[in-house]
Amino acid sequence: MSTLPPSMPTAVNERLAALLAQAGLGNRAAFADLYEATKSKLFAVSLRIVRERHIAEEVLQDSFVNIWNNATKYAVAQSAPMTWMTAIVRNRSLDIVRRPHVEVQDEDDFFATNMEDQRPGPDDQLASRRDQVKIEHCMKGLDGEQQQTISLAFFQGLSHSEVASHLGKPLGTVKTHIRRGLLKLKGCLES
Amino acid sequence: MRLGNPELRSRLASEYVLGTLRGGARRRFEDYVRRDAALRKEVETWQAHLLPLADRLSPVDPHARVWKKIEARLDGARSTSVASTKAGLWESLSFWRSVGLGASGVAVALLATMLTLKPVEQSPTLTAVLAEDNNVARVFVEQSKPGLLMVKMVTPWKTMNGMALELWVVPKDGVPRSLGLINDTGETRLVFTGIDEKLSGGLVFALSKEPPGGSPTGQPTGTVMCKGAIAHMPSKLPRSPI
Repeated sequence: MSTLPPSMPTAVNERLAALLAQAGLGNRAAFADLYEATKSKLFAVSLRIVRERHIAEEVLQDSFVNIWNNATKYAVAQSAPMTWMTAIVRNRSLDIVRRPHVEVQDEDDFFATNMEDQRPGPDDQLASRRDQVKIEHCMKGLDGEQQQTISLAFFQGLSHSEVASHLGKPLGTVKTHIRRGLLKLKGCLES
Repeated sequence: MRLGNPELRSRLASEYVLGTLRGGARRRFEDYVRRDAALRKEVETWQAHLLPLADRLSPVDPHARVWKKIEARLDGARSTSVASTKAGLWESLSFWRSVGLGASGVAVALLATMLTLKPVEQSPTLTAVLAEDNNVARVFVEQSKPGLLMVKMVTPWKTMNGMALELWVVPKDGVPRSLGLINDTGETRLVFTGIDEKLSGGLVFALSKEPPGGSPTGQPTGTVMCKGAIAHMPSKLPRSPI
């Protein structure tokens, strides 16, 4: 087993990494602990994208079977455990949302819904706090349209054309907002 | 699609992580990522940057059936043979008492090795050398800080035949408590909530051979591969009150 990647400051991350390592060795009890510690955050990630609880449940199942089967590869991934697992859940959600029977509905009340949870809580520790502070800071540096398009794509899992139809804007405009927004984020995040 | 252009690589990696790269393009990009370590690194960098945004979301508890289904799928994939509990030897306290002296000679012999493993930043609070009945030292265990147990395979077995190694701490009552599975080579770091409570009052460590995934019963079911008495070290410096 490897030592932990260097960029994980919190004890929570260290614990999750250790649980993943145990899961990689086939330890089911550790895997159960890992599920308990991360299920609610990861379920929220998927639910936001796929919109329906039963589909998000399917995503969570597939993702955790995937996490179990690939836990031995985590050690070489060099990322924070929550980042690694979030990527798996997002990928599965984005795959599944493409299925024809899944209607992606517009949420007109999107900005009114309680998307943002700014209250500090124990779950905040799950992501590396420092990474989170940084991305939030950099997002604030984007102009309004860039923030809006990137947030819609990231949280709702909307494609370029879905973002365009959601906002009633031309596809090319949306692509430009997203492209420029990401470039600006990159500059900020790597500074 | 050529991926030689650094700007294009970075843009596609960012849109892949953001989720706007879709359908066939997404799958093609994943094929590139599998073959291109530098591109994979680019994706991982974007993941590290963007995915913490997900922390904004309020947690939502999934239904309990999700875990049951995950377990069912894992059970379906693994061997259904479950070893029966061989409780006899494990429950005998005199068996554990017999460990002490036999292993201590080995412990002394290994002390030099232990000390050269790494520079000692903190004095260990607990150490043990786990040996076989013929006194071949196999495993070294050390705790240098709360919440973390380092386990080092000093002499690996040639083959485990797909079986897992599970570490147990045995307190006075003789009922082993599982500390987790151990790599059959190199080092294993055991970190979990409550590890210090499990270790407190521990007299002996033992390593048992278990089916893949560990003991199905929560108690050792297989052969004891090696064992050793635990030496609890008094801490040199009392902790200052905070």
